[in-house]
Amino acid sequence: MSYSVTSSLDRALNVLSESMGQGRVVAGATDLFLKSLSPELVDVSSVPELLGINRDHGSLSIGAGVTHAEAAASPLIRLEAMALAEACRQVGSPQIRNIGTIGGNVVNAAPAADAAVALVALGARAVLIDLGKRQHHAAVEELYADYNLSTVDSSSEILLRFLLDLPARDEGSAFLRFAPRQALSLPLVNAAARVRLKGDAIESVRAVIAPVNPAPTRLYETEKMLLGSWPEDDTWRKVEYTAASEVEVRGSLLRCSAGYRQHLVGVLARRVLKKAVERAVKSRMGGDGS
Amino acid sequence: MKEQVISFELNREKVEIYADPALSLLRLLRSRFNLIGTKEGCGRGDCGVCTVLLDGRAVNSCLIPAGKVEGRKVLTIEGVTREGLEKGAKVHPVQQAFIDKGAIQCGFCTPGMIMSAYALLRDKPFPSPEEVREAISGNLCRCSGYKQIEEAILEAAKAITEQEGKW
Repeated sequence: MSYSVTSSLDRALNVLSESMGQGRVVAGATDLFLKSLSPELVDVSSVPELLGINRDHGSLSIGAGVTHAEAAASPLIRLEAMALAEACRQVGSPQIRNIGTIGGNVVNAAPAADAAVALVALGARAVLIDLGKRQHHAAVEELYADYNLSTVDSSSEILLRFLLDLPARDEGSAFLRFAPRQALSLPLVNAAARVRLKGDAIESVRAVIAPVNPAPTRLYETEKMLLGSWPEDDTWRKVEYTAASEVEVRGSLLRCSAGYRQHLVGVLARRVLKKAVERAVKSRMGGDGS
Repeated sequence: MKEQVISFELNREKVEIYADPALSLLRLLRSRFNLIGTKEGCGRGDCGVCTVLLDGRAVNSCLIPAGKVEGRKVLTIEGVTREGLEKGAKVHPVQQAFIDKGAIQCGFCTPGMIMSAYALLRDKPFPSPEEVREAISGNLCRCSGYKQIEEAILEAAKAITEQEGKW
């Protein structure tokens, strides 16, 4: 029965091993603290393997213990993964962003967690380590077992980092959310996109929307429609329609009706994709993409 | 949870306490250290009245398990006041500006507002009004309407830079 803070990955894994399934990993604790605390917690927020943002063999590597505030302010993330910087800047409040981590944002598995939505759009892969010190990778969208339930077992594995492909010159990404207020407000809908251009056409696109399912959800039909062509005004109208039709949303008394949410899905999908395309064009012309 | 020893720096003094690590930092401060300047509002990270600084950054003390502060630095509103006293003023310039600008009505949000303002001015001595608004976006005030609070923080920034080197 304890709370231990450690800066050693080995020690964190040992605590979990010795706790026989009773131990849990904790980082920022902002979500976990309001749910329930396990009898044995190991705080990994200062473990070096979970920290740092750097380029690593063609990937951008972002520690799972990086806070939302750090990610939002990171020049490297703003340059290479703008959607994530934008998402992290809008989570909770400054106080939450100063301590809540992006790893926690994913493992807490809330269906409309801003950072997670951006990570899925960016195609991020999670790097996890188990008690036998074996590492394995999983796409972020594969880490959702159900609403608010992660496949990551915090009693026997630790999420170390996220890896995402560094963007080419012709790429852009963006994140948008719609919420009743500008701060301290859960989004009614959030959306993120990553787009790569080739010549006069969209060569690759990932568009993600939430909350629709337990995990941030790809808009495959909308993506297919955009691939291989150059979007004109008419295309954007179709994007809005297709995005709103390809997902089924639920209304909630706390947030908004299903009909309104469906409308927001279309509008946000169009706006976020358009913004990502604009940034890709700007980046191609030598701008910084912002 | 079972109690354990927690050692940390509180208002620039090393402290050690035997406490339940699952207690919130807010409870630890109020009930074990009798530092009741930090208030409890919603108790779930929505209102910001419990804001303290952890290693120089504003956090909601209601969401921090006490065990988490092991080896770290915590600053509360009492520490800010003491900083003012130690430098020969009645209170810290941020507090003085809140008084001068009438940025206080019922006063319940004030300690949290001041902690957020203090953290901002440590990072950005010359904040824009926009940066001030963002810095206090995690602090709710239900009576003042925020305008005077924003003015007070900008005034405090001016006062601190005018007395360069002192703060």
